[in-house]
Amino acid sequence: MNSQHLNNSINEVSRAIGRTWPLYSFVTSNPLSGYEKSAFGEALEKAGKLLKANILPDVSLFRQAWESGDINNEALIDNLAENGFFESPELCLELFENHSKKEIENEYHQVDLIMAKWLAAFMDEGLAEWQMPGRKKGFYKAWRDLARYDNDFNVSRTSDIPETSAQAIEESLHGFSRDEYSRIFMSHLAALPGWTGYIKHRVEANTSWQQNFPISLQDYLGVRFWICKHLNLQILPLDLKTSGNRRIAEMQLIWLKTWEQTWQKTLVQTLKKSNSSKTKQKKKPDAQLVFCIDTRSELIRRHVEAAGNYETYGYAGFFGIAMDYTDLKDGMLRKSCPPIVESAYKVSEIPQKNRETDALQLQKKNQVSGFQDYFLTRMKNMLPSAFGYVEGTGVLYGVSMLARTLTPGFLYRKSSGRRFQQESLCETDMIKNSTNRGLQMISLEEKAGIVRSAFNLMGWKEFAPLVVFAGHGSHTANNAFGSSLDCGACAASPGRNNARMIAKLANLKEVRELLAAEYNILIPGNTVFVGAEHNTTTDEIELFDAQVPESHFEQLENLKKNLRRARETATRDRLRTKDKGVQLSDIKANNWSETRPEWGLAKNAGFIIGPRELTKNSNLDSRCFLHSYNWESDKEGTALEGIMQGPMVVTQWINNHYYFSSVDNEVFGGDSKITHNITGRFGVVKGNGGDLKMGLPLQSLNKTDTEMYHQPLRLSVLIQAPEKRISDILLRNENLKQLLDNEWIYLLVMDPTEENRVKRYSRNMDWQPVIEKAEVNAAKSTISEMELVN
Amino acid sequence: MKEKTASDPLMDPDNYAELKSRPGYSGSVFGARIFSIFLWTLFVGNLFILLISMNDLPDWSNGIFLFNGFSLLIWLTVSFFSAVTSSYALNYLHGFTGHSRFNWLSLGFTASVMLLVVSDHIIPFLLSWLLMGVFMAGLIGVNSKWGEARQAAGYAQRIFLAGSVLLALGILLPAFKLNMFTVTGLIAATEELPYYIAFTSAVCIITAAIIQSAIYPFHRWLLSAMTAPTPASALMHAGFVNGSGIILAIFSTMIIASDTLNILFIIGGLTAVISQFTKLLQVNVKQKLACSTIAQMGFMIMQCGLGFFNAAVVHLILHGFYKAYLFLSAGEEVKYSSPSAPLIIRIKPVQAVMVSIFSIAGAFLFALVTGKGMTLDSGIFLTLIVAITVGQATYNIVKQRILSNTQKLYIPVLIFVMGIGIYALIYNGVTYLMAGMPMVNVPLSLSWIQIGFGIIFLAGFFMMKLGAYRNVSWLYVKLMNASQPYKKSVLMYKSRSL
Ligand SMILES: [Zn+2]
Repeated sequence: MNSQHLNNSINEVSRAIGRTWPLYSFVTSNPLSGYEKSAFGEALEKAGKLLKANILPDVSLFRQAWESGDINNEALIDNLAENGFFESPELCLELFENHSKKEIENEYHQVDLIMAKWLAAFMDEGLAEWQMPGRKKGFYKAWRDLARYDNDFNVSRTSDIPETSAQAIEESLHGFSRDEYSRIFMSHLAALPGWTGYIKHRVEANTSWQQNFPISLQDYLGVRFWICKHLNLQILPLDLKTSGNRRIAEMQLIWLKTWEQTWQKTLVQTLKKSNSSKTKQKKKPDAQLVFCIDTRSELIRRHVEAAGNYETYGYAGFFGIAMDYTDLKDGMLRKSCPPIVESAYKVSEIPQKNRETDALQLQKKNQVSGFQDYFLTRMKNMLPSAFGYVEGTGVLYGVSMLARTLTPGFLYRKSSGRRFQQESLCETDMIKNSTNRGLQMISLEEKAGIVRSAFNLMGWKEFAPLVVFAGHGSHTANNAFGSSLDCGACAASPGRNNARMIAKLANLKEVRELLAAEYNILIPGNTVFVGAEHNTTTDEIELFDAQVPESHFEQLENLKKNLRRARETATRDRLRTKDKGVQLSDIKANNWSETRPEWGLAKNAGFIIGPRELTKNSNLDSRCFLHSYNWESDKEGTALEGIMQGPMVVTQWINNHYYFSSVDNEVFGGDSKITHNITGRFGVVKGNGGDLKMGLPLQSLNKTDTEMYHQPLRLSVLIQAPEKRISDILLRNENLKQLLDNEWIYLLVMDPTEENRVKRYSRNMDWQPVIEKAEVNAAKSTISEMELVN
Repeated sequence: MKEKTASDPLMDPDNYAELKSRPGYSGSVFGARIFSIFLWTLFVGNLFILLISMNDLPDWSNGIFLFNGFSLLIWLTVSFFSAVTSSYALNYLHGFTGHSRFNWLSLGFTASVMLLVVSDHIIPFLLSWLLMGVFMAGLIGVNSKWGEARQAAGYAQRIFLAGSVLLALGILLPAFKLNMFTVTGLIAATEELPYYIAFTSAVCIITAAIIQSAIYPFHRWLLSAMTAPTPASALMHAGFVNGSGIILAIFSTMIIASDTLNILFIIGGLTAVISQFTKLLQVNVKQKLACSTIAQMGFMIMQCGLGFFNAAVVHLILHGFYKAYLFLSAGEEVKYSSPSAPLIIRIKPVQAVMVSIFSIAGAFLFALVTGKGMTLDSGIFLTLIVAITVGQATYNIVKQRILSNTQKLYIPVLIFVMGIGIYALIYNGVTYLMAGMPMVNVPLSLSWIQIGFGIIFLAGFFMMKLGAYRNVSWLYVKLMNASQPYKKSVLMYKSRSL
């Protein structure tokens, strides 16, 4: 086997392993994305066997859903019978119970332990002051140079170990047949899926750490095989017995489907009900606010709309600007658009007019605080200052500990003035993300195009005097998973800088002129665009209004006042409290002992693409992504196609991530936060060490260790548009059709040309009604009864 | 107190109804609140007693129990740490199935420490030492459904048991010889013991002490204890590992009579240096903190070895604050960064002069306010540490470009005056509270061993400064392996669906 061939076959096999993202940019992606070309059920079986993981909800989740009626009992019995299962639901649950996971001893304990030790040391991103020697040479060579000092195994001379990882692999595979190779590769990559997933991430993203200290799956396998051989461990795993019982798995899949169908019916009924109570005559809104499609926006939009005469929209939270962003604070470049999109622009901060000195001052302050961090680390690390340092500062640590424990809310409010200094002194500035320096300017057409496509996709009609683009970010303390709560459309960064950027573009006079002249988008002269951030932990909406003209001050003040009111009602609603919502949310944002500062995207189950009128009158309980779309103004279907190619795929990633993290929190998730141990500044391990954790922690999914909060359901996408238009789009986009055919997501269409009847897509363009006629009538009658009561 | 607690939603009774309506509320939250309120009350009560008895320290004993300034000091300390961790755990462990087990174990642990420092009779004394270990091991394995946690707990328990047996030997031996069964009686009568008994007893007590403090070669249990939830770790590093400081302070006369101070000094010193280097290569936050704790405990044992048992007690309290804080905030270490080469630092002559002047000034201030290092004795060693620390702080500040020249002048002064001032306050307070104890502040004459370690510390300091250790591969691997957790507490189990 030559090295190219070896490399290819490893890459081929590695598709079975997910990608582990670093916690500082925690992208919620499908850990089984490598299987998306197969049907859901089939993929589950393969992956479950390989990773020894649960791939369908645990029996306790099914029980909770069934007992609460989230799995409709009659439908369940029908569905089971239809597939030839005549067991009662109770009996099913009992059967499932007998097949739940058990703890067994790890036969590869020795080698797993050694690998985890070296991988953690090699891939460290600056936690250790004393780094593994020789990292520049790459993982295999660095390890080889050190191996003879490692008393976990005996090797006296470095020359006893093959010089390259390819040689090591070749030696170890000697005597095995080609067919066995991939089984061997697969099982050893799957032995530590978190770590191998992170190797995959480093290689694919080619991070600066990877450029300096390269590692590859081949290196990993080389080291691992050599150690196995040296410890006399069999590298060909015992035949993977068909773990799990196929019959049980089939039944569980039916349970899952029934659960999903029950939810779909509820959704459709809610929307029908909402639609039937038509909204009153509209007058021109005082302001319009654009939020991310994020499920958390659904709640705040309801409350903003209730607080005044406002219109809200849903749009992917990167606002259509595929950019990387450089923070003034640390100078690091972060991706700020969906991971599936290539970044076309670089955005950075420049001082606002007449604020140059203040901005300089701020920069100086940042440097001083950077020096402080460095200084403290130095003092703690050095001999013997570490001892003197502890004695001199111990009391201060004691006092801070007391303050942080007892007064987190107070401290949070006190620091509010310092939170957005950068945004009030600087503005965003955009250049082309290209290596060719000459082409860094962005043409007017391009700028106008970004603004235009936003209004196009959302089906915008008229402009209010204030239009707010609100990105979102989460404020939490002591939270390794903080970035998992930020915007999924911005690669786990807060979306405020994208919001500021698009507001700035839309405010440009020449952009408006071009939009009016060429695209008939008429933005009135008195319309001002403002960037903002929706803080999802506290539901505060911070407007970045430093450059709003004086003419709009009054309207701005009014809006701010109403947003404060919206915050009060929204937190009350979300935190289920009578009148302390604001106070509680401040505490949650800054409490270092809070493992559930907010729920993120938990409970997500639906994605609604359509105008706000469709959802405006219903409480969707933060379970749906909402994208504004107007089928009437999108005759060609190009806007819809864009939404389906972009946002729909992102929501599928998020949804699948939540699904798998819930069904097996140990393997696909992050396990419980309470024993997390941060490793290498990019990840966590549990307790004393072991495999890197790859998904969301238990506390982001469950109310308690046993009680679920997120329901593991596949995403149901509902689009209001003619069926024909959607079918055409699917025919043009094989990858989207594949996702649907393989049942990774559901698609429902609400056809406005057919009285908004809802149909569900099933394999090969077959459309099935979701609710039978009779049921719709029944639903209608209950609504009219309710109205009577009201 | 009311004012402080009011902003903690879980401490505020008005908020109770809301708490109940939160998702995931269960009865255990109510139970946990009771624990927390009890511990805060305990702390405030101790503080109150301290304040009213400031001029007339308690000194009471009935032959089985006693209560003096030292008991009060430790009660105050341990109730503070327990109260803080219980408040923290209230939120942090919400929904954890072992939450109420955690509460009982923490409470049990707190009670055993409190019992230890009020025990005069050796039976409650030994029993409370044993119980401390039992409860702490329980906390390590509080998640009993997790195989690795059970392994780690079992490992710790075995070591703690060995420690308890050694302590029992070390106390029972002189007790039966002298036919004296109170701790105060024993430590007052050490002079009467034959040397071989005093020596054996001291060695047993020292070993028991360093087991608890995870001093080399007994450090591995601490590096395997991350299966405990974070607040339990905070309690462990602030209240359990430093048990050795307490016990050595109590048995100071035995150590002095048996002439084993140098053993303490050497073991402590070696541990301090090795662990401080080991800490540098840790890639997991909690392991890094554990190595730092081991180094700090090493230093504390050194202070005992110098005859400054009171300084050791001060160190254990201040280190408790420091380490508990770092554990409770251990989730803050995720950071996006790019590789950077270690800085190479050159210092100008003027700056070097400044560093020296400030170091000497710092040392002088320290000597002035703590009374150490004024004469030629072991106190010089501690003063030297202070001087180097001040020097290092100054050094890091003066070479910074972003600071102005005036800032470079006043910031180091501000820092060291404040640091030394606060330290002196605590030091003198603790010394005052420990005044009733025999021989806790006995400077030794300066010895070659001390000078030797002074030189080792300086050498270590320069090695670190120059980064000379970075390319010593064999040392890297040896230290890495020495700091690995107990094998069976990592990746020992897999799960499999049937
Ligand atoms: Zn978003």
